[in-house]
Amino acid sequence: MSSRWFALAVAFVAIALVVAQDIIPTTALFHTWQYALALAIAAFVMVGYALGAQRGEDGPLGKRLAVAQLGALVVLGAGLASGLLGPDTDTIVRSPGTVAPLPDLGRAAFFSAVDGAAVARGDAHVLLRKRGEGEIDIPAGTKRYVGNSVLFTEPTHAAFIDAYDGAGNHLTITQPDSAAFLSPILLFHNEATIAGKKLPFDTFRTPGAKRVVRTIYFSAQDTAKMNHIATPNKNVPTVLFAVDDEAGKTLDIKIGASGEYVSVGGLRLRASIGTYPQLIVASAPAPIALIAGLIVFLAGLVWAAFAIPPRAALTEAHG
Amino acid sequence: MIALLLIVAFYPGGGPKRTAEGGGPAMLAGAPAVSYTLKRIDGQLDGLDRYRGSVVLMNIWATWCPPCDAEMPELEAFSKEIRAKGVVVIGVDQGESQGVTAAYARKHGVTFPILLDQEQAYGRSYSAVGLPTTIIVDRSGHIVKGIDGQLTLAQMREAVAPALRAQ
Repeated sequence: MSSRWFALAVAFVAIALVVAQDIIPTTALFHTWQYALALAIAAFVMVGYALGAQRGEDGPLGKRLAVAQLGALVVLGAGLASGLLGPDTDTIVRSPGTVAPLPDLGRAAFFSAVDGAAVARGDAHVLLRKRGEGEIDIPAGTKRYVGNSVLFTEPTHAAFIDAYDGAGNHLTITQPDSAAFLSPILLFHNEATIAGKKLPFDTFRTPGAKRVVRTIYFSAQDTAKMNHIATPNKNVPTVLFAVDDEAGKTLDIKIGASGEYVSVGGLRLRASIGTYPQLIVASAPAPIALIAGLIVFLAGLVWAAFAIPPRAALTEAHG
Repeated sequence: MIALLLIVAFYPGGGPKRTAEGGGPAMLAGAPAVSYTLKRIDGQLDGLDRYRGSVVLMNIWATWCPPCDAEMPELEAFSKEIRAKGVVVIGVDQGESQGVTAAYARKHGVTFPILLDQEQAYGRSYSAVGLPTTIIVDRSGHIVKGIDGQLTLAQMREAVAPALRAQ
Protein backbone atom coordinates (compact mmCIF):
# COMPACT_ATOMS: atom_id res chain seq x y z
CA MET A 1 0.00 0.00 0.00
CA SER A 2 1.41 3.39 -0.99
CA SER A 3 1.83 6.12 1.62
CA ARG A 4 -1.08 7.99 -0.05
CA TRP A 5 -3.56 5.17 0.42
CA PHE A 6 -2.23 4.35 3.86
CA ALA A 7 -2.66 7.99 5.00
CA LEU A 8 -6.15 8.10 3.51
CA ALA A 9 -7.12 4.83 5.21
CA VAL A 10 -5.82 6.19 8.53
CA ALA A 11 -7.82 9.40 7.99
CA PHE A 12 -11.01 7.44 7.29
CA VAL A 13 -10.59 5.27 10.39
CA ALA A 14 -9.77 8.30 12.59
CA ILE A 15 -12.82 10.19 11.31
CA ALA A 16 -15.02 7.12 11.88
CA LEU A 17 -13.79 6.90 15.48
CA VAL A 18 -14.39 10.60 16.18
CA VAL A 19 -17.86 10.44 14.62
CA ALA A 20 -18.49 7.42 16.86
CA GLN A 21 -17.45 9.61 19.82
CA ASP A 22 -20.32 11.90 18.89
CA ILE A 23 -22.85 9.09 18.33
CA ILE A 24 -22.01 7.01 21.42
CA PRO A 25 -20.25 9.50 23.70
CA THR A 26 -20.62 7.48 26.89
CA THR A 27 -18.31 4.69 25.64
CA ALA A 28 -15.44 4.33 28.10
CA LEU A 29 -12.92 3.66 25.32
CA PHE A 30 -12.94 7.32 24.30
CA HIS A 31 -11.54 8.37 27.68
CA THR A 32 -8.61 5.94 27.73
CA TRP A 33 -4.99 6.89 27.15
CA GLN A 34 -4.77 4.09 24.57
CA TYR A 35 -7.44 5.79 22.47
CA ALA A 36 -5.70 9.15 22.77
CA LEU A 37 -2.41 7.49 21.77
CA ALA A 38 -4.06 5.85 18.74
CA LEU A 39 -5.42 9.23 17.59
CA ALA A 40 -2.01 10.83 18.16
CA ILE A 41 -0.32 8.14 16.02
CA ALA A 42 -2.97 8.66 13.33
CA ALA A 43 -2.27 12.39 13.43
CA PHE A 44 1.46 11.72 13.09
CA VAL A 45 0.87 9.56 9.97
CA MET A 46 -1.48 12.13 8.42
CA VAL A 47 0.80 15.11 9.13
CA GLY A 48 3.77 13.17 7.72
CA TYR A 49 1.92 12.46 4.46
CA ALA A 50 0.50 15.99 4.18
CA LEU A 51 3.92 17.64 4.66
CA GLY A 52 5.49 15.31 2.07
CA ALA A 53 2.62 15.93 -0.34
CA GLN A 54 2.98 19.69 0.06
CA ARG A 55 6.62 19.32 -0.94
CA GLY A 56 5.40 17.57 -4.12
CA GLU A 57 6.39 14.02 -3.11
CA ASP A 58 3.01 12.68 -4.29
CA GLY A 59 2.54 14.85 -7.35
CA PRO A 60 -0.34 17.28 -8.04
CA LEU A 61 -2.89 14.79 -6.66
CA GLY A 62 -1.01 14.58 -3.37
CA LYS A 63 -1.11 18.38 -2.98
CA ARG A 64 -4.91 18.28 -3.21
CA LEU A 65 -5.17 15.27 -0.92
CA ALA A 66 -3.17 17.24 1.65
CA VAL A 67 -6.20 19.53 1.95
CA ALA A 68 -8.38 16.50 2.74
CA GLN A 69 -5.81 15.42 5.32
CA LEU A 70 -5.99 18.87 6.89
CA GLY A 71 -9.76 18.46 7.29
CA ALA A 72 -9.27 15.02 8.81
CA LEU A 73 -6.74 16.50 11.24
CA VAL A 74 -9.31 19.08 12.39
CA VAL A 75 -11.81 16.28 13.05
CA LEU A 76 -9.16 14.25 14.83
CA GLY A 77 -8.11 17.26 16.92
CA ALA A 78 -11.74 17.75 18.02
CA GLY A 79 -11.93 14.11 19.05
CA LEU A 80 -8.61 14.23 20.89
CA ALA A 81 -9.56 17.44 22.71
CA SER A 82 -12.89 16.04 23.85
CA GLY A 83 -11.31 12.80 25.05
CA LEU A 84 -8.52 14.57 26.94
CA LEU A 85 -10.19 17.79 28.09
CA GLY A 86 -13.89 16.89 28.23
CA PRO A 87 -15.60 15.64 31.38
CA ASP A 88 -15.90 11.99 32.30
CA THR A 89 -19.35 10.56 31.73
CA ASP A 90 -21.69 11.47 34.57
CA THR A 91 -25.28 10.34 35.08
CA ILE A 92 -27.21 12.86 37.16
CA VAL A 93 -30.37 11.56 38.81
CA ARG A 94 -32.50 14.09 40.66
CA SER A 95 -36.00 14.25 42.01
CA PRO A 96 -38.50 16.34 40.06
CA GLY A 97 -38.47 20.01 41.04
CA THR A 98 -34.83 19.97 42.15
CA VAL A 99 -31.71 21.60 40.76
CA ALA A 100 -28.31 20.07 40.06
CA PRO A 101 -25.39 22.50 39.73
CA LEU A 102 -23.02 21.71 36.84
CA PRO A 103 -19.96 23.77 37.81
CA ASP A 104 -17.80 22.51 34.91
CA LEU A 105 -20.36 23.90 32.48
CA GLY A 106 -21.16 27.04 34.50
CA ARG A 107 -24.82 26.05 34.45
CA ALA A 108 -27.47 24.40 36.56
CA ALA A 109 -29.82 21.61 35.48
CA PHE A 110 -33.46 22.08 36.49
CA PHE A 111 -35.41 18.86 36.72
CA SER A 112 -38.99 19.85 36.00
CA ALA A 113 -41.62 19.48 38.71
CA VAL A 114 -44.20 16.97 37.55
CA ASP A 115 -47.43 15.41 38.72
CA GLY A 116 -48.56 11.81 38.43
CA ALA A 117 -49.99 12.30 34.94
CA ALA A 118 -46.68 13.69 33.64
CA VAL A 119 -44.79 10.74 35.14
CA ALA A 120 -47.24 8.34 33.46
CA ARG A 121 -46.80 10.15 30.12
CA GLY A 122 -43.02 10.26 30.58
CA ASP A 123 -42.70 13.70 28.98
CA ALA A 124 -40.79 15.57 31.71
CA HIS A 125 -37.91 17.79 30.58
CA VAL A 126 -34.58 18.88 31.97
CA LEU A 127 -33.63 22.54 31.49
CA LEU A 128 -30.13 23.99 31.56
CA ARG A 129 -29.94 27.51 32.92
CA LYS A 130 -27.16 30.05 33.18
CA ARG A 131 -27.62 33.43 34.79
CA GLY A 132 -28.05 36.07 32.09
CA GLU A 133 -28.55 33.54 29.30
CA GLY A 134 -31.56 31.75 27.88
CA GLU A 135 -32.64 28.27 28.86
CA ILE A 136 -31.53 25.17 26.99
CA ASP A 137 -34.29 22.58 26.92
CA ILE A 138 -33.25 18.92 26.69
CA PRO A 139 -36.29 16.90 25.62
CA ALA A 140 -36.05 13.11 25.41
CA GLY A 141 -34.05 11.87 22.43
CA THR A 142 -32.26 15.21 21.90
CA LYS A 143 -28.59 16.06 22.36
CA ARG A 144 -27.34 19.48 23.39
CA TYR A 145 -23.71 20.56 23.11
CA VAL A 146 -22.01 22.89 25.58
CA GLY A 147 -18.28 23.32 24.93
CA ASN A 148 -16.63 19.89 24.95
CA SER A 149 -19.69 18.30 26.56
CA VAL A 150 -22.79 16.72 25.18
CA LEU A 151 -25.91 16.49 27.34
CA PHE A 152 -28.88 14.25 26.80
CA THR A 153 -31.51 12.50 28.86
CA GLU A 154 -32.48 8.88 29.28
CA PRO A 155 -35.75 7.77 30.84
CA THR A 156 -35.60 5.96 34.16
CA HIS A 157 -38.42 4.10 35.92
CA ALA A 158 -40.54 6.38 38.08
CA ALA A 159 -43.76 6.24 40.04
CA PHE A 160 -45.70 9.13 41.54
CA ILE A 161 -47.29 7.96 44.79
CA ASP A 162 -50.57 9.18 46.25
CA ALA A 163 -51.11 7.95 49.80
CA TYR A 164 -54.17 8.17 52.05
CA ASP A 165 -54.80 6.88 55.55
CA GLY A 166 -57.80 4.77 56.56
CA ALA A 167 -59.91 7.89 57.15
CA GLY A 168 -59.23 9.17 53.64
CA ASN A 169 -56.74 11.87 54.61
CA HIS A 170 -53.92 12.57 52.16
CA LEU A 171 -50.51 11.77 53.62
CA THR A 172 -47.08 13.35 53.41
CA ILE A 173 -44.52 11.11 51.71
CA THR A 174 -40.89 11.20 52.72
CA GLN A 175 -37.86 9.35 51.44
CA PRO A 176 -35.94 7.50 54.14
CA ASP A 177 -32.59 7.29 52.39
CA SER A 178 -32.33 10.31 50.15
CA ALA A 179 -31.55 13.97 50.54
CA ALA A 180 -34.68 14.61 48.45
CA PHE A 181 -36.59 14.16 51.68
CA LEU A 182 -40.01 15.33 50.58
CA SER A 183 -40.61 13.46 47.35
CA PRO A 184 -43.70 11.50 46.40
CA ILE A 185 -41.84 10.35 43.28
CA LEU A 186 -39.94 7.10 43.44
CA LEU A 187 -37.02 6.71 41.03
CA PHE A 188 -36.15 3.10 41.95
CA HIS A 189 -32.39 3.65 42.27
CA ASN A 190 -31.93 0.39 44.16
CA GLU A 191 -32.34 -3.19 43.01
CA ALA A 192 -33.90 -6.21 44.65
CA THR A 193 -33.02 -9.68 43.38
CA ILE A 194 -36.03 -11.94 43.24
CA ALA A 195 -35.87 -15.45 41.79
CA GLY A 196 -32.55 -14.51 40.18
CA LYS A 197 -34.00 -11.45 38.50
CA LYS A 198 -32.93 -7.95 39.43
CA LEU A 199 -35.88 -5.61 39.82
CA PRO A 200 -36.01 -1.86 40.53
CA PHE A 201 -36.63 -1.20 44.23
CA ASP A 202 -37.43 1.89 46.32
CA THR A 203 -38.79 2.80 49.75
CA PHE A 204 -40.88 5.62 51.16
CA ARG A 205 -42.44 6.60 54.48
CA THR A 206 -45.77 8.05 55.46
CA PRO A 207 -44.88 9.57 58.86
CA GLY A 208 -48.47 10.74 59.42
CA ALA A 209 -49.64 7.10 59.39
CA LYS A 210 -46.40 5.65 60.82
CA ARG A 211 -45.80 3.33 57.88
CA VAL A 212 -42.77 2.38 55.81
CA VAL A 213 -43.51 1.10 52.32
CA ARG A 214 -41.08 -0.96 50.25
CA THR A 215 -41.86 -1.02 46.55
CA ILE A 216 -40.73 -3.13 43.63
CA TYR A 217 -41.30 -2.08 40.03
CA PHE A 218 -42.57 -4.64 37.53
CA SER A 219 -42.57 -3.72 33.86
CA ALA A 220 -45.59 -4.59 31.73
CA GLN A 221 -43.65 -7.64 30.47
CA ASP A 222 -42.84 -8.79 34.01
CA THR A 223 -46.46 -8.24 35.04
CA ALA A 224 -47.73 -10.29 32.08
CA LYS A 225 -45.54 -13.22 33.19
CA MET A 226 -47.08 -13.30 36.68
CA ASN A 227 -50.23 -15.40 36.41
CA HIS A 228 -51.65 -14.70 39.85
CA ILE A 229 -51.66 -10.94 39.88
CA ALA A 230 -55.17 -9.71 40.61
CA THR A 231 -55.20 -6.83 38.18
CA PRO A 232 -57.62 -6.63 35.28
CA ASN A 233 -55.03 -5.34 32.84
CA LYS A 234 -51.81 -7.30 32.61
CA ASN A 235 -50.31 -5.07 29.93
CA VAL A 236 -49.42 -2.25 32.28
CA PRO A 237 -46.52 -1.83 34.68
CA THR A 238 -47.26 -2.58 38.32
CA VAL A 239 -45.74 -1.80 41.70
CA LEU A 240 -45.61 -4.19 44.62
CA PHE A 241 -46.25 -2.46 47.95
CA ALA A 242 -44.91 -4.15 51.11
CA VAL A 243 -46.17 -2.06 54.05
CA ASP A 244 -44.34 -2.21 57.39
CA ASP A 245 -45.05 -0.48 60.67
CA GLU A 246 -42.30 1.69 62.15
CA ALA A 247 -40.99 -1.28 64.15
CA GLY A 248 -40.26 -3.06 60.85
CA LYS A 249 -43.10 -5.59 61.05
CA THR A 250 -44.60 -6.31 57.64
CA LEU A 251 -48.35 -5.68 57.77
CA ASP A 252 -49.47 -6.45 54.24
CA ILE A 253 -48.26 -6.87 50.66
CA LYS A 254 -50.20 -6.07 47.52
CA ILE A 255 -49.60 -5.26 43.89
CA GLY A 256 -51.16 -2.26 42.19
CA ALA A 257 -51.38 -1.46 38.51
CA SER A 258 -50.50 2.03 37.31
CA GLY A 259 -53.22 4.49 38.30
CA GLU A 260 -55.10 1.96 40.45
CA TYR A 261 -55.78 2.48 44.18
CA VAL A 262 -54.78 -0.39 46.46
CA SER A 263 -55.76 -0.77 50.14
CA VAL A 264 -52.75 -2.24 51.92
CA GLY A 265 -51.52 -2.16 55.51
CA GLY A 266 -53.96 0.55 56.59
CA LEU A 267 -53.11 2.78 53.63
CA ARG A 268 -54.72 3.52 50.29
CA LEU A 269 -51.93 3.80 47.75
CA ARG A 270 -51.85 4.68 44.09
CA ALA A 271 -48.77 4.59 41.88
CA SER A 272 -48.82 6.52 38.60
CA ILE A 273 -46.09 4.57 36.86
CA GLY A 274 -43.98 5.85 34.00
CA THR A 275 -40.61 7.42 33.47
CA TYR A 276 -38.60 10.46 34.51
CA PRO A 277 -35.44 11.70 32.80
CA GLN A 278 -31.94 11.29 34.14
CA LEU A 279 -29.33 13.64 32.69
CA ILE A 280 -26.17 12.29 31.11
CA VAL A 281 -23.19 14.56 30.67
CA ALA A 282 -20.37 13.21 28.49
CA SER A 283 -17.52 14.64 26.51
CA ALA A 284 -18.04 14.93 22.77
CA PRO A 285 -16.20 16.55 19.88
CA ALA A 286 -17.16 20.19 19.38
CA PRO A 287 -19.77 20.02 16.59
CA ILE A 288 -18.41 23.10 14.77
CA ALA A 289 -14.92 21.59 14.53
CA LEU A 290 -16.36 18.21 13.56
CA ILE A 291 -18.55 19.61 10.78
CA ALA A 292 -15.92 22.05 9.49
CA GLY A 293 -13.28 19.31 9.44
CA LEU A 294 -15.59 16.91 7.61
CA ILE A 295 -16.45 19.55 5.01
CA VAL A 296 -12.77 20.31 4.35
CA PHE A 297 -11.99 16.58 4.20
CA LEU A 298 -14.75 15.88 1.68
CA ALA A 299 -13.93 19.02 -0.32
CA GLY A 300 -10.28 17.93 -0.49
CA LEU A 301 -11.30 14.47 -1.74
CA VAL A 302 -13.60 15.94 -4.42
CA TRP A 303 -10.92 18.43 -5.46
CA ALA A 304 -8.42 15.58 -5.73
CA ALA A 305 -10.87 13.50 -7.79
CA PHE A 306 -11.17 16.34 -10.32
CA ALA A 307 -7.38 16.37 -10.66
CA ILE A 308 -7.40 12.80 -11.97
CA PRO A 309 -8.22 12.42 -15.69
CA PRO A 310 -10.59 9.45 -16.30
CA ARG A 311 -7.86 7.23 -17.74
CA ALA A 312 -5.37 8.27 -15.08
CA ALA A 313 -7.99 7.58 -12.43
CA LEU A 314 -8.34 4.03 -13.74
CA THR A 315 -4.57 3.64 -13.66
CA GLU A 316 -4.41 5.14 -10.15
CA ALA A 317 -7.11 2.75 -9.00
CA HIS A 318 -5.05 -0.23 -10.16
CA GLY A 319 -1.95 1.08 -8.45
CA MET B 1 -46.24 -15.77 43.34
CA ILE B 2 -46.42 -16.74 47.05
CA ALA B 3 -42.69 -17.42 47.05
CA LEU B 4 -42.15 -14.02 45.49
CA LEU B 5 -44.21 -12.30 48.15
CA LEU B 6 -42.38 -14.13 50.91
CA ILE B 7 -39.05 -13.10 49.48
CA VAL B 8 -40.23 -9.50 49.36
CA ALA B 9 -41.64 -9.68 52.87
CA PHE B 10 -38.30 -10.72 54.28
CA TYR B 11 -36.19 -8.75 51.88
CA PRO B 12 -34.02 -6.49 54.03
CA GLY B 13 -34.11 -3.62 51.59
CA GLY B 14 -31.16 -2.26 49.75
CA GLY B 15 -28.84 -3.08 46.95
CA PRO B 16 -26.62 -0.15 46.20
CA LYS B 17 -27.66 2.96 48.10
CA ARG B 18 -29.13 5.71 46.00
CA THR B 19 -26.84 8.63 45.47
CA ALA B 20 -27.35 11.41 47.97
CA GLU B 21 -28.51 14.49 46.17
CA GLY B 22 -26.63 16.85 48.45
CA GLY B 23 -27.42 20.48 49.00
CA GLY B 24 -30.34 21.31 51.22
CA PRO B 25 -32.05 24.68 51.52
CA ALA B 26 -28.89 26.59 52.47
CA MET B 27 -27.50 26.24 48.94
CA LEU B 28 -30.47 28.13 47.44
CA ALA B 29 -29.40 31.64 48.52
CA GLY B 30 -29.51 34.04 45.58
CA ALA B 31 -31.70 31.87 43.37
CA PRO B 32 -35.10 33.06 42.12
CA ALA B 33 -37.89 31.80 44.37
CA VAL B 34 -40.04 29.22 42.56
CA SER B 35 -43.79 29.65 43.03
CA TYR B 36 -46.67 27.21 42.65
CA THR B 37 -50.29 28.29 42.90
CA LEU B 38 -52.09 26.10 45.41
CA LYS B 39 -55.26 26.00 47.48
CA ARG B 40 -55.07 27.45 50.97
CA ILE B 41 -56.82 25.90 53.96
CA ASP B 42 -59.58 28.52 53.52
CA GLY B 43 -60.10 27.32 49.93
CA GLN B 44 -58.58 30.39 48.22
CA LEU B 45 -55.83 30.03 45.63
CA ASP B 46 -52.47 31.42 46.68
CA GLY B 47 -48.78 31.20 45.80
CA LEU B 48 -45.45 32.67 46.78
CA ASP B 49 -45.33 35.01 43.76
CA ARG B 50 -48.42 36.86 45.03
CA TYR B 51 -46.23 38.36 47.76
CA ARG B 52 -43.65 39.92 45.42
CA GLY B 53 -42.70 43.30 46.89
CA SER B 54 -42.77 41.99 50.46
CA VAL B 55 -40.18 40.10 52.43
CA VAL B 56 -41.56 36.57 52.91
CA LEU B 57 -40.80 33.96 55.52
CA MET B 58 -42.08 30.69 54.10
CA ASN B 59 -42.36 27.79 56.51
CA ILE B 60 -42.55 24.29 54.97
CA TRP B 61 -44.10 21.96 57.50
CA ALA B 62 -46.59 19.18 58.29
CA THR B 63 -48.94 18.49 61.19
CA TRP B 64 -47.33 15.15 62.07
CA CYS B 65 -43.87 16.72 62.48
CA PRO B 66 -42.98 17.30 66.18
CA PRO B 67 -40.42 20.12 65.60
CA CYS B 68 -42.99 21.89 63.37
CA ASP B 69 -45.52 21.60 66.16
CA ALA B 70 -43.03 23.00 68.66
CA GLU B 71 -42.14 25.90 66.36
CA MET B 72 -45.72 26.87 65.48
CA PRO B 73 -46.53 29.13 68.51
CA GLU B 74 -43.39 31.20 67.91
CA LEU B 75 -44.10 31.35 64.18
CA GLU B 76 -47.60 32.67 64.86
CA ALA B 77 -46.22 35.22 67.33
CA PHE B 78 -43.59 36.28 64.80
CA SER B 79 -46.18 36.71 62.03
CA LYS B 80 -48.19 39.10 64.21
CA GLU B 81 -45.12 41.00 65.41
CA ILE B 82 -43.53 41.48 61.97
CA ARG B 83 -46.66 42.17 59.86
CA ALA B 84 -46.37 45.94 60.44
CA LYS B 85 -42.85 45.90 58.97
CA GLY B 86 -44.11 44.43 55.69
CA VAL B 87 -42.96 40.88 56.29
CA VAL B 88 -45.37 38.13 55.27
CA VAL B 89 -45.33 34.71 56.94
CA ILE B 90 -46.83 31.84 54.97
CA GLY B 91 -46.99 28.16 55.82
CA VAL B 92 -46.85 25.41 53.20
CA ASP B 93 -48.21 22.11 54.47
CA GLN B 94 -46.62 19.09 52.82
CA GLY B 95 -48.92 16.44 51.45
CA GLU B 96 -51.80 16.57 53.89
CA SER B 97 -55.55 17.03 53.49
CA GLN B 98 -57.38 20.32 53.95
CA GLY B 99 -59.43 18.94 56.87
CA VAL B 100 -56.40 17.81 58.86
CA THR B 101 -54.43 21.00 58.28
CA ALA B 102 -57.36 23.35 58.86
CA ALA B 103 -58.24 21.55 62.11
CA TYR B 104 -54.63 21.91 63.26
CA ALA B 105 -54.62 25.64 62.42
CA ARG B 106 -57.88 26.20 64.29
CA LYS B 107 -56.68 24.26 67.33
CA HIS B 108 -53.39 26.18 67.51
CA GLY B 109 -54.82 29.61 66.62
CA VAL B 110 -52.73 29.97 63.45
CA THR B 111 -53.75 33.11 61.55
CA PHE B 112 -51.16 33.34 58.75
CA PRO B 113 -52.01 31.80 55.33
CA ILE B 114 -51.34 28.09 54.97
CA LEU B 115 -51.04 26.56 51.50
CA LEU B 116 -51.90 22.90 50.90
CA ASP B 117 -49.08 21.35 48.88
CA GLN B 118 -50.34 17.81 48.31
CA GLU B 119 -47.75 17.07 45.62
CA GLN B 120 -45.00 18.45 47.87
CA ALA B 121 -43.77 20.67 45.05
CA TYR B 122 -42.49 23.43 47.38
CA GLY B 123 -40.72 20.87 49.55
CA ARG B 124 -38.93 19.42 46.54
CA SER B 125 -38.10 22.73 44.87
CA TYR B 126 -36.71 24.21 48.07
CA SER B 127 -34.55 21.13 48.76
CA ALA B 128 -36.20 20.44 52.10
CA VAL B 129 -34.06 17.77 53.74
CA GLY B 130 -36.30 17.72 56.78
CA LEU B 131 -39.23 19.52 58.37
CA PRO B 132 -39.62 22.30 59.19
CA THR B 133 -37.70 24.18 56.50
CA THR B 134 -37.73 27.97 56.43
CA ILE B 135 -37.10 30.03 53.31
CA ILE B 136 -36.60 33.82 53.39
CA VAL B 137 -37.48 35.58 50.14
CA ASP B 138 -36.61 39.23 49.47
CA ARG B 139 -38.84 41.87 47.89
CA SER B 140 -37.54 41.10 44.39
CA GLY B 141 -38.50 37.42 44.68
CA HIS B 142 -35.03 35.99 45.32
CA ILE B 143 -34.10 33.59 48.07
CA VAL B 144 -32.06 35.24 50.81
CA LYS B 145 -31.67 32.23 53.03
CA GLY B 146 -32.82 28.63 53.44
CA ILE B 147 -32.77 27.10 56.90
CA ASP B 148 -33.27 23.48 57.88
CA GLY B 149 -34.86 22.81 61.26
CA GLN B 150 -36.87 24.48 64.00
CA LEU B 151 -36.28 28.20 64.66
CA THR B 152 -36.81 30.27 67.78
CA LEU B 153 -38.46 33.70 67.69
CA ALA B 154 -35.03 35.34 67.94
CA GLN B 155 -33.72 33.27 65.04
CA MET B 156 -36.74 34.24 62.92
CA ARG B 157 -36.08 37.96 63.59
CA GLU B 158 -32.42 37.45 62.73
CA ALA B 159 -33.28 35.53 59.55
CA VAL B 160 -35.42 38.30 58.01
CA ALA B 161 -33.25 41.22 59.16
CA PRO B 162 -30.89 41.30 56.09
CA ALA B 163 -33.84 41.22 53.68
CA LEU B 164 -35.58 44.02 55.60
CA ARG B 165 -32.43 46.17 55.56
CA ALA B 166 -32.00 45.73 51.81
CA GLN B 167 -33.86 48.28 49.67
